[in-house]
Amino acid sequence: MVKDKATVVVVGGGATGVGILRDLSMRGIDALLIEKLDMVNGASSRYHGLLHSGARYAVRDQEAARECIEENTILRRIGKSCVEATTGMFVQVEGDDPDFVDPWLQGCKDSGISTRELSKEEALRLEPNLSRKLKVAYEVPDGAIDGFRMSWQNLQSAAHYGGRYKTYTEIIAVNVENAAVKSIKVRDNVTKEEYEIECEILVNAAGPWAGKVAELAGLECNVSPSKGTLIAFNQRISNRVVNRLRKPSNGDIFVPHGSITILGTSSITVPDPEDTTTSWEEVEDLMKTGEGVFERLRDYRILRVFAGSRPLYVPKGAEGGRNASRGFVTIDHEKEDGLKGMMTICGGKFTTYRLMAEKFCDVLAPKLNNTAKCRTAEENLVPEVPEADKKAARQYFPAYGVNLAATRLGVEKFGEVVKTLKEEPESREVLCECENVTMAEIKRIASEPTSHSVADVRRRTRLGMGTCQGNYCAIRSAAVANKLFKDKLAESSDSLSDMKNFLQARWKGITPVMAGKTLREAEMTRGMYELLFNVNGGRRG
Amino acid sequence: MSKSDVVVIGNGVAGLMAALVSADQGKKVTLLSYGAGTFPLNSGVIDVLGYDDAGKAVANPIEGIGRTADNHPYKKIGMPAVQDAVEYFKKTVADEGFPYVGSLKEQQWLITSVGTLKPTCLLPESLQASKCFDANEIVIVGVKGLKDFYVDMVAENLAKELGSDKKYTTVTVDTYITGRDLTTRDVARWVESDKGYGEFLAQIKNQAGSGKAIIVPQILGTKGNYVVYNKLVKDLGCAVVETTGMPPSVNGIRLRDVLLSALKKKGIRVIENVIAEKAVVKGDTVTAVEAGGEVRAQTYEADKFILATGGFYSGGITMRDFGEYKEMVFGLPVEGDCVEERWVNKQLFSDKKQAFAMAGVRVDSSLRAVDESGNVVLKNVYVVGRNLSGYDFCFEHSGNGVALTSAYKAAKA
Repeated sequence: MVKDKATVVVVGGGATGVGILRDLSMRGIDALLIEKLDMVNGASSRYHGLLHSGARYAVRDQEAARECIEENTILRRIGKSCVEATTGMFVQVEGDDPDFVDPWLQGCKDSGISTRELSKEEALRLEPNLSRKLKVAYEVPDGAIDGFRMSWQNLQSAAHYGGRYKTYTEIIAVNVENAAVKSIKVRDNVTKEEYEIECEILVNAAGPWAGKVAELAGLECNVSPSKGTLIAFNQRISNRVVNRLRKPSNGDIFVPHGSITILGTSSITVPDPEDTTTSWEEVEDLMKTGEGVFERLRDYRILRVFAGSRPLYVPKGAEGGRNASRGFVTIDHEKEDGLKGMMTICGGKFTTYRLMAEKFCDVLAPKLNNTAKCRTAEENLVPEVPEADKKAARQYFPAYGVNLAATRLGVEKFGEVVKTLKEEPESREVLCECENVTMAEIKRIASEPTSHSVADVRRRTRLGMGTCQGNYCAIRSAAVANKLFKDKLAESSDSLSDMKNFLQARWKGITPVMAGKTLREAEMTRGMYELLFNVNGGRRG
Repeated sequence: MSKSDVVVIGNGVAGLMAALVSADQGKKVTLLSYGAGTFPLNSGVIDVLGYDDAGKAVANPIEGIGRTADNHPYKKIGMPAVQDAVEYFKKTVADEGFPYVGSLKEQQWLITSVGTLKPTCLLPESLQASKCFDANEIVIVGVKGLKDFYVDMVAENLAKELGSDKKYTTVTVDTYITGRDLTTRDVARWVESDKGYGEFLAQIKNQAGSGKAIIVPQILGTKGNYVVYNKLVKDLGCAVVETTGMPPSVNGIRLRDVLLSALKKKGIRVIENVIAEKAVVKGDTVTAVEAGGEVRAQTYEADKFILATGGFYSGGITMRDFGEYKEMVFGLPVEGDCVEERWVNKQLFSDKKQAFAMAGVRVDSSLRAVDESGNVVLKNVYVVGRNLSGYDFCFEHSGNGVALTSAYKAAKA
């Protein structure tokens, strides 16, 4: 049964997909994005969150380096509230190859990336936790970027121009007639309902899953999922991004985000993009390398370990893994395979997601006789929250939380939340002290059409994502969840399962690092939930 | 500092009980304490054994202990000491005016702050859930501004435990305290004040009646006695049940106050806010421990030492990296199954014990640490409570039971 229709259907709710949706919408093309789970659940939120200056690619891939520095400048402007303009350092410690420095400096110069040499004293003054074995340090315009928030702001912007999106909607078949895509069949993963969506062009932006989507149309697309493992620490180890100045390798990037630091990344080719398991060996490998830059690394508490799959595109006969290109490809299946109305985009990196969308849509738009120019670099993603609104909000909840909530919510929703806080004093309850999330915000986000479960709300609000890792808010969110989702959920859930599922989701990231201070935290979690709350239920067995 | 007969290191349930029992043997006792121990996180009830190895509820703790594995601390402590320890505890708290109900022969139940039932062995009368089992109507009382006690959630889960044939109603009272979120301790202080009690009673009185039971958070006074509880039961004329809940645990602190009061009466010297850092060892005997903190380290000499510094949570045992265990005072041998496939269950709440939770000091039946061949390492050092290996207290619900009974045995040795 045909239930929906769009000129272009984009498959995949990662940075690539949302970037394309925004670009198409701004060009006036009717587009619908579908995502099989919640938005941004793949590599776009499962990476180190580095806004590349391009310096990391300066030696091996200068085209990528140039693209990075240009996009870096653009994203700082259009996505201000998603970027922490930290700057970055490239450092060498004793034992690193001094011969790598000159070609790197030359590469940066040729690519238009500014570098500034720092004396050892200055570098250590700026970043006191750096190893005393530091030899050289350079400053570059790296930054930190919140991939999750930036993706949602792209969706918000796209919606402003008429773009639509559906979560938990999975493509399960491509209907072809006369060598052209006519429609796709999808399944609603919440209601399990299956239906058809008619379209003129199908865009495969499924990242590491792109091969699987291509298969549905009987095509081959050689994507090699490359797993990257990352470690999140409970504090800012440095105030700047810190890179190891050497040939890119595992465990040589530290990125500060808010109150935490992320260390990454490994690169392991895996058969299945769903494989985000991590082992002691991977963690140890990252820690060992990381210790070279920050000697006291093992004394910091690890919050969790996580992994994501990069969608590396491997042309036939080429090499995968660390040496595969970080560039991207646009595949027009009409030209390549004789199938009209289907295009695939593959590879790339978060920093250049906007440029990828621009180049891709420059190929797509003419097929629809659309000659509009790309405008995604000209306009900010979302309007800024006015200071007056923030000032008004400070009367109702902790001042520290106001900025966090304003950037999470954006002008419109923030205004509504502040109004609720003013009118309903009970809604001022802070459910999550780590991230300063109020009941009013939870309720507002729960009313969104994309919120199907408390887990969806958690991702949007950051409830339970902070340093207590859910210890204190699992019970609170379970208590409100049932009220908020009782009518919405297809399957009924109960508060104990909610609590357990919430903590289980965090547990997955904790198990590979169950040593040091993490052990202490785990004993506390179990002491509270398994013992004091007896969440497994009383009269068992 | 003059020499003691016994130095006890640690001030959780295990440490305080070890000090009390030692003093009863006529010994001169010094207790090295740090902070409030784990009491703010402690339910303040004595779980002996709630669930067996298969996760099945244990109806009779004594029989359950008989079925534990050979390396379980209870097997090393032995049944006579377990029974004597339970009697000793009951007498101690009763003498302090805070008698506990329950016995080793029959499991007791309490209601948690999420509305589940939890098995335990000994508990204050105000927490005894059985009083509401026969009620027709359960009234759940919440408090405005009190986090972590959600009346609807308690009703939802309690109905699953006690049956949906009962009527469940909820009511929320106002403390008239504004401007901040409240903890159970704040509310308990309000309820034990004359004015607060009057305001509280006025708001719930019309809910009471025959055949009803009133469920409240842990708010019936901060002190280890039944003054507020008894008054409320009399004024309402029906059953009243307190729940356990989110830290800071009011009942944990009540138990701590009661045990500290008993300690004081026995003339036990308590050194506050010190961390035992190292031991002075002569051959296989410890002659003293050095303990410091914010003040200069001092040496505490004794003939006998009882280690009650806890596990990973309290920092008595650490593991900086996989397999690198350390017992922090004496460097005693720690055993644990630190193998990647087994160290952590992939499921947080599973039907299996967690290997990491069972890591601890290996001891023999005298509760002294032994090496891999079974030889005692330090002949005058006894190990108690969560310092011990071989049990997962969260899975079994056995924490305070092992703490109490091991402390009793070590003190008697």
